Amino acid sequence: MTLSVFRAIHTAVSPHSLIFRRSRASFCCSVNRPSSSSSAVSATPVSTVRIPLFLREATGTATISELHAWRKWAQTLVSSVGSKFEDADNGPGPELLCREIRWMLEDVVEANLDVVNRLSDETAFGKDGDVVRLRAGLDELYCLWEERIEKRRPFQYLVGCDHWRDLVVCVQEGVLIPRPETEMIVDMVEEVVSRDKRLAEGIWADLGTGSGALGIGIARILRNGGKVVATDISEVAISVASFNVNRYGLQDKIELRQGSWFEPLEDVKGKLSGLVSNPPYIPSMNIAGLQAEVGQHEPRLALDGGKDGLDYLLHLCENSALALESGGFFAFETNGGSQSKFIADVMTNRSNFSFRDVKIVADLSGIQRFVTGFRQ
Amino acid sequence: MCFALLKRSSIRHFTYFNLRNHRISSLSVIISSVCQSQTVEASFARSARHYFTSSSAVVTPKTLISVSSLAHHFSSLSSLESRKTSEGLSVDKILDQRWPILDESQSDWRSHAAAIALSIQVIKKRLKWPNLVLRAEHLSSEVTRSDIWENPDYAGKVSRDHGICMGKIKEVNGLEQELIEHVELLKLARDEGDSELELETMKALLRMRRNVKEKEIEALLSGEQDPCPCFIEVQAGAGGTESMDWAAMVMNMYKMWAQRRGFHTTVVDEMPGEIAGIKRATIKVDGDYAFGYAKAEVGVHRLVRISPFDSSKRRHTSFAAVAVIPILGDVSTHVVIKESDLRIERFRSGGAGGQSVNTTDSAVRIVHIPTGVTATCQNERSQHQNKAMAMQVLQSRLDQLEMARQAQLNSQLTQSLTDISWGNQIRTYVLHPYRMVKDLRTNYEVSDPDSVLEGDIDAFILSFLSASLDKKDNYLGNGTGSRPNFVPPLFLSCTGLGSMNQV
Repeated sequence: MTLSVFRAIHTAVSPHSLIFRRSRASFCCSVNRPSSSSSAVSATPVSTVRIPLFLREATGTATISELHAWRKWAQTLVSSVGSKFEDADNGPGPELLCREIRWMLEDVVEANLDVVNRLSDETAFGKDGDVVRLRAGLDELYCLWEERIEKRRPFQYLVGCDHWRDLVVCVQEGVLIPRPETEMIVDMVEEVVSRDKRLAEGIWADLGTGSGALGIGIARILRNGGKVVATDISEVAISVASFNVNRYGLQDKIELRQGSWFEPLEDVKGKLSGLVSNPPYIPSMNIAGLQAEVGQHEPRLALDGGKDGLDYLLHLCENSALALESGGFFAFETNGGSQSKFIADVMTNRSNFSFRDVKIVADLSGIQRFVTGFRQ
Repeated sequence: MCFALLKRSSIRHFTYFNLRNHRISSLSVIISSVCQSQTVEASFARSARHYFTSSSAVVTPKTLISVSSLAHHFSSLSSLESRKTSEGLSVDKILDQRWPILDESQSDWRSHAAAIALSIQVIKKRLKWPNLVLRAEHLSSEVTRSDIWENPDYAGKVSRDHGICMGKIKEVNGLEQELIEHVELLKLARDEGDSELELETMKALLRMRRNVKEKEIEALLSGEQDPCPCFIEVQAGAGGTESMDWAAMVMNMYKMWAQRRGFHTTVVDEMPGEIAGIKRATIKVDGDYAFGYAKAEVGVHRLVRISPFDSSKRRHTSFAAVAVIPILGDVSTHVVIKESDLRIERFRSGGAGGQSVNTTDSAVRIVHIPTGVTATCQNERSQHQNKAMAMQVLQSRLDQLEMARQAQLNSQLTQSLTDISWGNQIRTYVLHPYRMVKDLRTNYEVSDPDSVLEGDIDAFILSFLSASLDKKDNYLGNGTGSRPNFVPPLFLSCTGLGSMNQV
C-alpha cells in the first residue's frame, strides 16, 4: 500500500509536491536500506566489497514510463539546485548532474543504450509500457539520487564505479575516487616503457594504490615479465583493489600488499624499474573548504597531506633513491604550482644527485601537476 | 524432348533456365546446348566441351553453377557494351518498345520487362555508367602494369578499386543478361505452349522486378564514402532559446531516424542551452551506409511555429544548421596528424583539480594548431575516452577538409560544393499556421510534420539522393562520380539569420 502511494507520487511529481516527495523518500531510505553507508564515510571499514550497480544481477523491473518518471523527477531535483553547488564550492552544475542521471540509467538498465536514449526523449515515450530489467529497484534509484542531491554523495559512490582511462574501476566509500588527472601517469609510463624494453619487463610499484586504478593501468602496458606491486595501508582499499585486479584478470601481474608506503617493499628494495604514486597532498588547512563531494565523503586518509600537504610526498622523495634500480623511473602527482616546484627541487638538488632528468609535467588543465625523473 | 524442333538460340536459354533451377539430368543436353549457342564466346564453348568430354566427371548442380559463372566471367570481361541476343533483343530495345508499366500485381510480362529495363537504366545512370566503364578500363591497365607492386599501398588501393568497379559492372551486365534471357524464355514458352514454363518465367520476372527496384536504391549509395559511419552535427541559429529548442528537435529527429534504420548513435559533444534545447551537438552514427544517407541532410533547416517560449504567442522562424562528416574506414586515406601540431586541453575545468575536486566532467578539447580546427568531446565517462573520441572527430574533420581541398584543386566538385551558410536552406518545417514539411531542393513535401520530426525522413533523403544523381547533366558525371553535395563540416559564422519575430 505504502509503495503504491509512493509510486503514484513519483509519476505525478510537480515542483509543489517536491517537498512532500522528499520526505517520503527519506523514509523509504531508512526502511529499505538501514545500512545506508552514505553518512558513515569510512568509519566502519568493510572488508567485503560492495558490488557496483553495473555488475549486479538484474532482479528488478520497471516500465519505460516509470523510468521516464524517475528521470523527470531527478531532473526536477537538479533544477531546484540550479547553480547552488557551483556557487558554494565549485561543485557540479545542472548540466553535469543531468549527464549523471543518464549514466546512472546506463548502469542500471539491463538493455541496450537505445532504451536509455528513448528515456531522454521528452515527447514520444511518456506512455510506454515496455518493461525493462533493472539492476537496482526503482525505489533504490529514488534513494540514490536523493543522496546525490541532498547529501552530495559522489556519483561514483552511488553507482559504485568510476570510468578511468579505458577501465571501469569499482569504488566505494573509504577509497579515493580516481581522478582524470591521474590518467596521465599511465601515459607517461607508457612512453617510458616504449623507449626502454628493460623497464617494460621490470617490477613497478604503485604506492597508496586506493582502488588499484593506477596499478592496473600500468600492469596492462607492461610486457610479459613485468609486474606491479601495489600497496595501501587501508584494508578497504586493499579489498577494493583486489576486486578490481581480479575483474581485469591481472592476479598474476599485480601483487597487492597492505602496509604503509615502502614498508611492504623490503624484498624488492633497489630492484624497482618504476615507482608511481598519487599520495595525499592537500594541505590540512584546505580540507575544511573542500567541495562537499570530496570533503564529506572521500577518505581523509587519501587526501590530507599534512601541514603543507608535503608530508607523504617528501617521504616518497626520501626513499625513492633506495627503492629504484639504476635507470628506474618515478612519477608523483602533486597539488600543483609551488608544491611540484618544491618536490622537483628536492629530487634535483637535495638527493645527492641520485636522479636525472627531473621534470615538472602539466596536466591537461595546465596545472603543474606531476614530477617525474629517473634514478641515475 | 527433341532439340531439333527448337530454335538454336532457344536451346541455350532452356539450358540456362535449367541450370538456374538445378534441373539438368542429362549431360548431353548441356554439351549440345553450349556448343550450339552463339552468344557464348567461342573460347568458352571450346573449354566447356573439353571439360565435359575429356573427364568423366559426374555433373552436379555445383559444377554446373561454376560453369555458368565462368561464362559470365568471360562475357563480362570481353565486352562492356549492352547484352544482346542472337535476335538482337537488348535492354535498350525493350525500352524502345515503350511497353506500359503496370502495377506489379498485373501479370503482364511486357510490363515487368519494361519496369526492369527502366530500373536497369536508372541504376546505370546512378552509377554514372560511361565514367564507370572508363574508370574500370583505366584501373585494369593499371593493375596489369608490371611495376605496380613497387608501391604496395598504391597497388592495394588500385586492385581494391578495380575489384569494386568490375563488381558493379558485372552486376549490371548480369542483370541485363538475366532480363533478356527471361524474355526469350518467355517467348519460347509461348511458342511451345508450355504453360508451366511460362508461369515460372513470369514468377522469375516478378522476382527480378522487385530485386532491381532494391538495387536502384543501393545504386544511390555508390559513393566512395557512402558505406562509412559518420558524425552528424547540429547547431542552433541565432535567436536564443527558441532556436536552441529547434536544434534539439532536429538532433532528436536524427537520433530517432537512426534508431529506425537500426543505426547505433552515441552523443559525442553537447552544449545545452541555458533554458532549453542545445546550442550545438555532435552525434556519431554507426551502421551500414550511415554517411550515404545522412549526407542528404546537410544544410539549414528552418522551423516556423508559435514559440512555446514566447509569452505573447507570436510566430517565430528559427534555424538550425546540420553538417555531416564521414568517418573514413581506410586508414591509408587519413590525413597524418602530427602530435606536435596538437594542443590537448581539459575543457571547462576550473579550480585546483586533482584530489581537491571530484567531478564526473572530463571534457577534452583538441586544437589542430596549423588549421585551427578543433574538436571537443564531453559525453564519455573518462578523460581518456573523451580524448580518443575528440581525436576521432578531429581526424574526420581534417580528412574532410583535405578531401574538399583536393576536390577544389581538381575542380571536380566546384559545382556541387556549397558552403554551409545560413542562406543555404534545404528544408522548411511549418507547424503554424498550416502544417507542412517541404524540401526546397526537391520540392518533395508532406503534410505531417510530427512523423518527420519523429525520424521519418527516409523519403526526403531518397528523393534528394535520386534527384541529385538522376539530374540529366549529371549523367556524364564529373570524374569522381561519387560525391554528391557534401560540404565542409566547419560551421561558419552564424551571423545574419537566426530567430526572427514575424509579428
